[in-house]
Amino acid sequence: MKKIARILTLAKIVLRGQIRRKDIYVVFMLLGAVVVLIASSDILGLSSVVTYVLETGLLAAWIFGWILGIYSAARELPQEETRGTIFSLLAKPVTRGEIVVGKWLGCWCSVAAAVALFYALVVALVLERGGFISPFVLFQAFALHAGALAVMTSLAVALSTRMNQDAAATLAYIVTGASFLLVPRIPEFVFREAGLRSNLFLFLYHALPHFEVLDMRTRVTFGFGPAPLWAFAASLAYAAILTIFFLAVATWLYERKRFSRSELAVL
Amino acid sequence: MNAVEIFNLTVLFQTRDGPVKAVDGLTLNVPVGHVVGFLGPNGAGKTTTIHVLLGFMRPTSGAAKVLGSDVREAAARRRIGYLAEHPDTYRFLTGRELLTATGRLFDLKGPDLSRRVDSLLERVGLSAAADRRISTYSRGMMQRVCLAQTLVNDPEIVILDEPTSGLDPIGRMDIRSLMSDLRRQGKTVFFSSHELSEVEMVCDRLAIMAKGRLVAEGPVEELVPRGERLEEYFMRMVMPK
Repeated sequence: MKKIARILTLAKIVLRGQIRRKDIYVVFMLLGAVVVLIASSDILGLSSVVTYVLETGLLAAWIFGWILGIYSAARELPQEETRGTIFSLLAKPVTRGEIVVGKWLGCWCSVAAAVALFYALVVALVLERGGFISPFVLFQAFALHAGALAVMTSLAVALSTRMNQDAAATLAYIVTGASFLLVPRIPEFVFREAGLRSNLFLFLYHALPHFEVLDMRTRVTFGFGPAPLWAFAASLAYAAILTIFFLAVATWLYERKRFSRSELAVL
Repeated sequence: MNAVEIFNLTVLFQTRDGPVKAVDGLTLNVPVGHVVGFLGPNGAGKTTTIHVLLGFMRPTSGAAKVLGSDVREAAARRRIGYLAEHPDTYRFLTGRELLTATGRLFDLKGPDLSRRVDSLLERVGLSAAADRRISTYSRGMMQRVCLAQTLVNDPEIVILDEPTSGLDPIGRMDIRSLMSDLRRQGKTVFFSSHELSEVEMVCDRLAIMAKGRLVAEGPVEELVPRGERLEEYFMRMVMPK
């Protein structure tokens, strides 16, 4: 229990920092303005506009969560070092694993809350246009989206244990971006290619996270109804396993990190 | 009993020109209840020693213990207070929020924690600014809130790394008076400093390092000959002959 209380304390500090910084509001307002602008156009007829609002709104919510989640998660640990606050933190009775999990939890909660607000904005626009979204489908879509954010933020935290903020964020954007764009198409490439290339694609298929199983945008936009419960639960479990894996790697790396005022390596 | 035990500690850093000994076979004991000044010129190995002592880095060889425990174990750090050199903190928090969060990391909670936070804020003279964000604090106020953070857990030993660096005379006096208070309470204070006049005023023991090695250690009155100022003694110890 004490361990959990310490993790929650660290997460709360991160949350307060996120709320009191301006970046989260800037990204929210920019993407929100784009969605509102699209919703205000009426050139395609009412029903088409509702679909369009949903499609662009949910895409914007994913982009918003992706940008903000990785940016904020990659920042937390390196910033402790550049500010020098890591020394004060490490002198307290918290383990490095608790620091990693606390930082991740704070980032994930703040980004998930911001994305929930974005969903609320999209739903408000859809309702205003006379459209309808099943609350259960929306809940499933959000829960899986939050799962995807957990994976992205834990990956960024893991990378940031050994890289500076910019390098960790860039690499996390590349890996997650490639996962989004490339992974669903890899089976095509595997069949088309042969030998080493085919094996390379297969390796990427198994190594990269499968965000497509956590993405219910098409189902929500075109009203396909809720996902079967077993598939929903399996997808959430997949996100949980990946998140735990990345956090375990992050803890392992962070526990072995030597903190020194100088950048010199200790022999 | 010793509050700090360092035995044959060596820390090697890898540089482009080869390995450099930051700490070279340091053996040092700090008895409980004393205020010990840890002196040395820049690059003498003071901060490296403190970092090993607090478990931030592993030594190349040798061992260091605080209050008989290896501080790499999180539980052992419950009895230690540490103020880093040039301390900074979460500037987006208020002073009260910072101390409350710190207390929670030490498993303190409820009315006990609130009382402790209030008394510490009063002790460091920040009661009026307790609910202001730290980003609005002056350098001296920042140092004081960090010092209060160091004392949240009522530590048995307080390790301070250059606690007065960058402070104005009033800030320095505050820190000195706090160290005297801690001594009166029977706490051990182990602090590194360049300010020899301050060390002279508050310390009862000295440990002087130069080029990674301990060159002098013991009670101030035994080390510094009568008629000689600490500054002269220090220069004699650290300057190459």
